[in-house]
Amino acid sequence: MIASWLWRRWFGILTLKALVALAVFGLVVAPPDSEQGDAARLLYVHVPAAWIAYLAFFVTALASALYLWPRTRNDSWDHLAGASAEFGVLCTGLTLFLGSVWGKPIWGTWWQWEARLTTTAVLLFLYLGYLALRRLGGVSSQRRNAIAALIAFIDVPIVHFSVSWWTSLHQQGSVFNDKMDVTINDGRMAFTLWLGAGAFTLLFAWCCLGRMRLLGIESKNSELELEAAIAQRTGVPS
Amino acid sequence: MSLASDAVLIAKKDMRIEMRSRIVFAQVLPFGGIVLLLFAFALDTDRGVLPIVAPGLFWVTVTLSALLAVSRSFAIEAEHGALYALRLSGLDGAAIFLGKAAAIVLQLLVLEVVLATGVFVLYDVHVPGEAVLAVASVAVAATVAIAAIGTVYGVLVAGIRARETLVPLLVLPAVTPLLLAASRSFEYAIDNDLSTSLRWGSLVGVIASVCVMVGVVAFGPLLEES
Amino acid sequence: MDHNWGYVAVGYVGTLAVLGTYCAVLISKLRKAPTEKHEQR
Repeated sequence: MIASWLWRRWFGILTLKALVALAVFGLVVAPPDSEQGDAARLLYVHVPAAWIAYLAFFVTALASALYLWPRTRNDSWDHLAGASAEFGVLCTGLTLFLGSVWGKPIWGTWWQWEARLTTTAVLLFLYLGYLALRRLGGVSSQRRNAIAALIAFIDVPIVHFSVSWWTSLHQQGSVFNDKMDVTINDGRMAFTLWLGAGAFTLLFAWCCLGRMRLLGIESKNSELELEAAIAQRTGVPS
Repeated sequence: MSLASDAVLIAKKDMRIEMRSRIVFAQVLPFGGIVLLLFAFALDTDRGVLPIVAPGLFWVTVTLSALLAVSRSFAIEAEHGALYALRLSGLDGAAIFLGKAAAIVLQLLVLEVVLATGVFVLYDVHVPGEAVLAVASVAVAATVAIAAIGTVYGVLVAGIRARETLVPLLVLPAVTPLLLAASRSFEYAIDNDLSTSLRWGSLVGVIASVCVMVGVVAFGPLLEES
Repeated sequence: MDHNWGYVAVGYVGTLAVLGTYCAVLISKLRKAPTEKHEQR
């Protein structure tokens, strides 16, 4: 299977190398930004984390849809949805944390009711709920979870639209640089950002496949245990 | 039987249970009232913030009360295997959804009238005469949306343990856009800026129709799984 | 400009801690996973 083929040692090492390279480029090679100074270095991690968070939630929705579609129904899709959502929540948390740490020196405050920030915060709770639902398990819970993932995904654009409409009404103080976009006038900065996106994508794939494998093993084991328990009760070996 | 008459049947059933048990009216309604009082204590009445933030507080109170109403709506299905009966009744999932949501809407509307009176009296809010209709229609649309979201998540967790704690975590993030839009719409209505109020109100309407559509599609399959 | 390095350090170290913990837990759980035991049965 692709999952076991990719979840090999070399793939892990490649991911690790990419992350180390990101740290080196982000902290040393890339020059400080002309306006934001060294704080801009946080964005090399913050922006990729945000991208991957959205990608992960998209993958969760896609995998859930594929699970619900009868022709493509397979437990692997359910496992992928769960693994991806978990990494997505992790990345959402990181995005908020890094955004806060970046905002303090640049905006002068840990938090601003800015559209993207606020949407990300709501998403965190939306998908924490989905993960909590998954944890409860139960008989035929996969379809239920898949539907929940799709409903959560439908909510994402609604949250984003209403929050951006809301924040656009507020007068932003001119002291605040509202945009997180750094003016990339240096090749090294652009490269570091792309490196970050690449490294986080690799990490996402690696963590997802590992988690999928774990979920697969867990569900297989619980099936075997159930069979063993039934065999014990009935005296008929399965 | 048609979809509408089936939905009315379910709604009547839920309302009859409510009229006999009076759980929502005797427990959830006083709960909403005490939350209104708590907000006044928390925000200090002297600083004059209460009339300004009243629309938001009103919708937060309604949402918290709605969580209890939703829990109640599915607690009555959990007893005596009622959920199995519902599943085996042969009624369309969409009809059951519309019926249960309609019952919650009715209960919440009564609650909102009482809470709104409380807000007028306690928070010293003035609604301009020409804005009353707008406020009322936005309230109805927002209530439909909250009830629809609550009903979908209610059936989603029906039949699993720990549902009482899970419902708020699932419902509250989902209603954030709605709370935002309904609160803004009320604020602008009170400020007598009707056109802006109605723009937010139309967002409430859009959200409500999306929620109802999602519920109509998703409720049947979710009921089978619960 | 120098004082920004403190924020950068907090951000990078925090990220490393979170991702590192997640991956470490994942790897250790996969190592412990009793697949072989059941396959032998």
